[in-house]
Amino acid sequence: MSRVAVRIRDFVKKFGNVVAVNGLNLDVFDGEIFGFLGPNGSGKSTTLLTIATVYKPTRGDIEVYGFSVTRNGDAVRKLIGIAFQEPKALWVDKPYELLVWHAMVVGYSLIDSRRVVRDVMEELGLWEHRNKLFSELSGGTRKKVEIAKLFIQKPKLAIFDEPTAQLDVTTKHLVWSKIRDMNREGSTIIVATNDTFEAERLSDRVGIIYRGTLKALGSPSELKDMIPGGDIIEIRVEGFISGNALRKIEDALETKRLDLSNGTLKAYVNRGEEKVALALEILMRENVKVRSVAVKEPSLDEVFFYFTGAKLEEVRG
Amino acid sequence: MTFPRSVPIIAYRDLQRFWKYKWWLAGLITMNLADLLIFALVFRGIVRREVVPDYLQFIAPGIASIAAFAAAFTIGREVMVELRRDFHHYLLSLPISRLELVAGRIASGLARGLIYQLPFIVLIVILTRLPSPTEALIALSVSAMIAASMSSLSIALSTLARSLELQATIRGLVYFIVFFASNIFYPEHIIRVRFPEAVQIVIINNPISIATSIYRHIFTPHLVQTAYTLEELLLKLTLWTVILLLVGALLYERNLK
Repeated sequence: MSRVAVRIRDFVKKFGNVVAVNGLNLDVFDGEIFGFLGPNGSGKSTTLLTIATVYKPTRGDIEVYGFSVTRNGDAVRKLIGIAFQEPKALWVDKPYELLVWHAMVVGYSLIDSRRVVRDVMEELGLWEHRNKLFSELSGGTRKKVEIAKLFIQKPKLAIFDEPTAQLDVTTKHLVWSKIRDMNREGSTIIVATNDTFEAERLSDRVGIIYRGTLKALGSPSELKDMIPGGDIIEIRVEGFISGNALRKIEDALETKRLDLSNGTLKAYVNRGEEKVALALEILMRENVKVRSVAVKEPSLDEVFFYFTGAKLEEVRG
Repeated sequence: MTFPRSVPIIAYRDLQRFWKYKWWLAGLITMNLADLLIFALVFRGIVRREVVPDYLQFIAPGIASIAAFAAAFTIGREVMVELRRDFHHYLLSLPISRLELVAGRIASGLARGLIYQLPFIVLIVILTRLPSPTEALIALSVSAMIAASMSSLSIALSTLARSLELQATIRGLVYFIVFFASNIFYPEHIIRVRFPEAVQIVIINNPISIATSIYRHIFTPHLVQTAYTLEELLLKLTLWTVILLLVGALLYERNLK
């Protein structure tokens, strides 16, 4: 995964006086699923729309497989496909004709278009809705039509902007599975989401964007490990633990905090999974009987709040 | 996708949408036909025979120009709705060049104009005469030029402002200027007598007036009252078409971002 699929350098996008993205630098690698995590209005969609050549950068540049979005827009568009946050169709459109048209625009013949559209529509449970007006479809069905465009197109770089918003749980899992299939078949994927569970579930790497700037970047487990004392090693013991044993654990595990209460020892550490064995070894040497052990990681929600410094109310607002 | 393939595909979508409004279209054609009949019948009795010998025959070519213009102009309404709903984001992200996109939109405007105009051309033929093959070819190219240039103008106007009200006002204003400041209803020698010189220049050089004059050369040569020859009129219309196509393409490309 060393080849760069998307190179973003010093990217600034302003709408009048409003700075939507402010000096973004980021590489998305060929073959990965990259999660773009941030709340509404954080600059995710603006970045994705610029990658898709819909917007032009105010400053800086974005390259897709070496082609600049400002200078080689035509070449970039041949490599990318985007499923928008808001489904793009007018009320008079019908799902089947819209998707067949999309298939033709992306290069299928009319006969192949009909075949591939039918396959994808059936897979997503859209076939029964094929001839309804877009205005008659539910929000979830409209969203599925939007996503279907990329499953038909299978571009080299597939961009999903909040793909599972408005979808039920079953369809969410189906869509995630289809996105992974696309990735296995050779597409690089960018998924913008404000759902931390989706970002963690789907992504090889996650970039956290907040108020137009990138706050953190790494795999979900790397991001969790970046929180000082983010992991909790929880050990239930029988009997007494000496002060000496506690000091040894504190030093060996480099704990940020150590609590002992009601026979449960809680050590707040980094990389808890790597240190749990050491803690057990010390306890056994001190003849402390261990009843159970658990390592708890912080959630990606906690990671998000840690890196953005945002309060929950602020993000909601 | 290659240029020759993508343009008809883009145009196909617009035509598909045009067809969805078929009942509205039928109503519009009926209304225009009724206009033609009412105008012709009323003015036939009012206008002196020595000025216009047969008003019905006189107005028919103009109505054909207006038909092509009105239908081609509807593409701008589509573009306006797309902008309003950010549908253009989707079009801009497709694997086609901006030139292919704008060419496809103009091509669909052209096709709309020709389809809509067809019944009016048939009516003119019934009312006047059957043109020779050469004349029919000239008439077809005039229809194509007026439909392409007006769809381009309409697209350009629809991208000028993001405000729906402002867009609708600009489009409405241009529509009525092109419609009324033309030689459809009045012969050119009357226009020269009745209007100030600046207005005369606007009326005579209006692409709708030019197209109407060419149709009159073809269908009602006995009613031609323009100072220009057929060749001069064709040249003027070609110039208008090239200018409006360029302006439309440039503005659409620039203003969509």
